[in-house]
Amino acid sequence: MTAGPTDGDLVATTLQGNPDAFATLVERYDRAVYHLAYRTLRDVEEARDATQEAFFKAFRSLRTFKPGAKFSTWIFAIAYHACCDRLNRQKRYASDEMPDFADAAPGPEQQAVALDEAGRLRAAIDALPEKYRTVVTLFHLQGRQYEEIASVLNLPLGTVKTHLFRAKEQLRRLLDGMGVTE
Amino acid sequence: MYDEDALDRALFALPLEEPPAGLRASILLATAYRPAPAFSVIELGVLGALGAVAAWLVVLLVLGGGSLFVNTLETIASFAERTFSNPATLAWVAAGGATALWLSLFSGFAPATAMPNRSTRRNSR
Repeated sequence: MTAGPTDGDLVATTLQGNPDAFATLVERYDRAVYHLAYRTLRDVEEARDATQEAFFKAFRSLRTFKPGAKFSTWIFAIAYHACCDRLNRQKRYASDEMPDFADAAPGPEQQAVALDEAGRLRAAIDALPEKYRTVVTLFHLQGRQYEEIASVLNLPLGTVKTHLFRAKEQLRRLLDGMGVTE
Repeated sequence: MYDEDALDRALFALPLEEPPAGLRASILLATAYRPAPAFSVIELGVLGALGAVAAWLVVLLVLGGGSLFVNTLETIASFAERTFSNPATLAWVAAGGATALWLSLFSGFAPATAMPNRSTRRNSR
């Protein structure tokens, strides 16, 4: 089995003037970046725009990418910042003090009645505060390691673990409230 | 009720949503496969300058007829002749041009850097 070029190779090839290499990077990460943006912003159009913005900024700043660094961490960090900027603009989010409580607005319990298990789980994730939602998305849904999440979110490792622990506590409470039985 | 393991299993098994149709194409059109602009920045600058000079000459013709137009061209020509017949001026122009050329070859146009992250902003406070 032959492995394809590494992300670092693709970045280097792009910088040498080969646009196909960047296209391969987009193919590798567009879905994951969109998913992170969608889980953070909870809006299809906003997530689409944030994903485009993240790749555009990455493409323009490709020379600042440090050889040896992980491209996934880098592009996720850019995407997460783009999402935070959008949330700030929407005034749903205060930059340094994120809410510790679950968002009250959507009423996931009511929405979830007619959903299947996966739908209920998604609704419960959507009801989490932004900081918990993002950690759950990166860790469970995208399989990222604690260290990478800490880099993406620019948080200490211990904070990431605490967020994940609290996120799961809240998820269990939300799912219990939906009457889910395992 | 979910216990911890069951919740982990359910979360890990949750599939990612499909991105909207056309997202990849629009990303590629904005980045790697962006069509080259018809004119470069330098070409646009030269075209703009030529356009401005042409507009100015038309205004001269309209306002003062042929005499004002001819007088202005004569004034410009004599000024240029005086300026470029002076060896010191020519030397400075050559030095400036050479420096500009060297700088453009040396540094190029650096891309914009990525946005500062939170720790950078915190440290700069």
